[in-house]
Amino acid sequence: MTDARILDRGYRPYDGPRLGPAGAVRSLARHTAQRVMGLKRPAAAKILPFLSAAIAYVPAIVFVGIAALVPDERLTTEFLPTYGEYYAFVASALVIFTALVAPEALCPDRRTGLFGLYLASPLTRTTYLVAKAGTVLALLLVATLGPPLLMLVANVLQGLGPDSPADVALLFGRVVLAGLELGVVYAAVSIGVSSLTDRKALASAGTLLVLVLSGVVSSVLVEAIGAPDWVLAFNLGPAPTELAQRIHGEPGSVEYADVATAALVGTWLGWTALGLGVAGWRYRITKVVR
Amino acid sequence: MPVVVAEGVVKRFGATTALAGATCEIGRGVTGLVGANGAGKTTLLGLLLGLSAPDAGRLEVLGLDPRHAGPQVRALVGYSPEHRSLPPDVRANDLVAHLAEVHGLPRRAAVARASDALYQVGLGEERFRAIGTMSTGQTQRVKLAAALAHDPRLVLLDEPTDGLDPVQRDEMLMLIRRIGTEFGIDVVLSSHVLDEVERICDAAVIVGEGRVLAAGPLDALRSTVGGWLVEVAGGSDRLATALVARDLTVTPDGRRLLVEGVDDPAVLRDVLADLGLEVVRLQRRRLSLEDVFLESGVYGPVEGPA
Repeated sequence: MTDARILDRGYRPYDGPRLGPAGAVRSLARHTAQRVMGLKRPAAAKILPFLSAAIAYVPAIVFVGIAALVPDERLTTEFLPTYGEYYAFVASALVIFTALVAPEALCPDRRTGLFGLYLASPLTRTTYLVAKAGTVLALLLVATLGPPLLMLVANVLQGLGPDSPADVALLFGRVVLAGLELGVVYAAVSIGVSSLTDRKALASAGTLLVLVLSGVVSSVLVEAIGAPDWVLAFNLGPAPTELAQRIHGEPGSVEYADVATAALVGTWLGWTALGLGVAGWRYRITKVVR
Repeated sequence: MPVVVAEGVVKRFGATTALAGATCEIGRGVTGLVGANGAGKTTLLGLLLGLSAPDAGRLEVLGLDPRHAGPQVRALVGYSPEHRSLPPDVRANDLVAHLAEVHGLPRRAAVARASDALYQVGLGEERFRAIGTMSTGQTQRVKLAAALAHDPRLVLLDEPTDGLDPVQRDEMLMLIRRIGTEFGIDVVLSSHVLDEVERICDAAVIVGEGRVLAAGPLDALRSTVGGWLVEVAGGSDRLATALVARDLTVTPDGRRLLVEGVDDPAVLRDVLADLGLEVVRLQRRRLSLEDVFLESGVYGPVEGPA
């Protein structure tokens, strides 16, 4: 006698709940985040995303550790960076993520034709793009919000941070606002450039080109042609970081001393609108291969 | 209740008219959407999914208007596109589960049903392989599993046997037939291979130059352009003359006569009896879907035998 039995694998209808377009957006966002971070993909795909996370977090962890191990107030006030200054440490992580990692969110779907399958689901072009852009923004916020929040929590716990709850709340608000400011503009630029090509390498090169050219052109215009200083606000490298520092109420760099905050906000709005506008236009006209 | 209703559907792309007033009803079971390349089949499928709106006419899918209820329609419909459209570095099970989730299933149910769907299409052992390492036949099955995993009420399959060898093609066709019968899911199979539609479909919609040229159950389609074949041992000229005199259309077909316009076969019997001819053969002409297709005017008027 054996205990073998026939296993009925006949088709089983599904009569459970269906989550509709909102569930579709959530699923797409989670899948995109996994893909961008290289999860469930070969080891090589994990290198750059985790490198950028490490670049963003390691300095914060080190500074928090130093402050804990060397409880000298002079050390924390004179040698360790302020919250506003910390964004300079995050900048390279943001560039790596924006140019080399984030294009993974959009390009492969069009290249493999998976975009067509998504549009055959409850997703629309708009909800698809919202899910993708939202995911890129959320991942960027991990780098722009996480380290300063870590420092804030650690400093408060060690008695090195703001004393009153009101000051803590104010600093928390500034951290969130500055993190959003940086995350939104870089997400918009990455999404905008990535929407123009289905090749990730081209999107990466294009994003780097936009980042570099924005600096070169604005510097040449100001220094060689004598354009007003506010033109420097177009530089996608230091200008968003400068604005983040001003959100923290800190003076920022000498180079930007004559650039008004309004100019920084205006160019921030301009780059964000341009990136999202290009992506929106591109996905409205993109033909689907079926 | 019909699964799909189309009334005078017009769709233009610039100066090109892809659909020029398509009208048809698609019922339960497996229905073939037949037409030459460029006939408007894929355009019609796109309209059924609500991916674009018709310029004129009315469409209904599962009782919903895809123009206004696109996401709701697509939640109830599974779609397998013609082109190879799957990411190569993702495991089949992960992709099918993800697409089931995108169609509205909760995560746990999507994962369970992805395994079931891949098992049903014959990829139970292969489901954890990266799609890029799979053969064309396996990839087509993954697409089919992705169309099934969320338990749709209707499945739209666009050339699902494209690129398959004869054995894989047979297996795929049997699978599609099972979906329409055992699984209880209605299927619209778009294909330009008439033989496969004839083998597994209950009905067909023949599309040509943007119009529906014929639609209905296969038996009915065959009979609408049927006729009778009559062969007698001598005297076929007399027989032809007598039949024409009764307002029937007679076309010589070798030694046989093809008689069309016969409402009552008793007329043939009476004429043969009156003339006292020896009958060699008297049978309904058996038409293939190809005959129906050609006579529907897809390629213009069909020339009869000289």
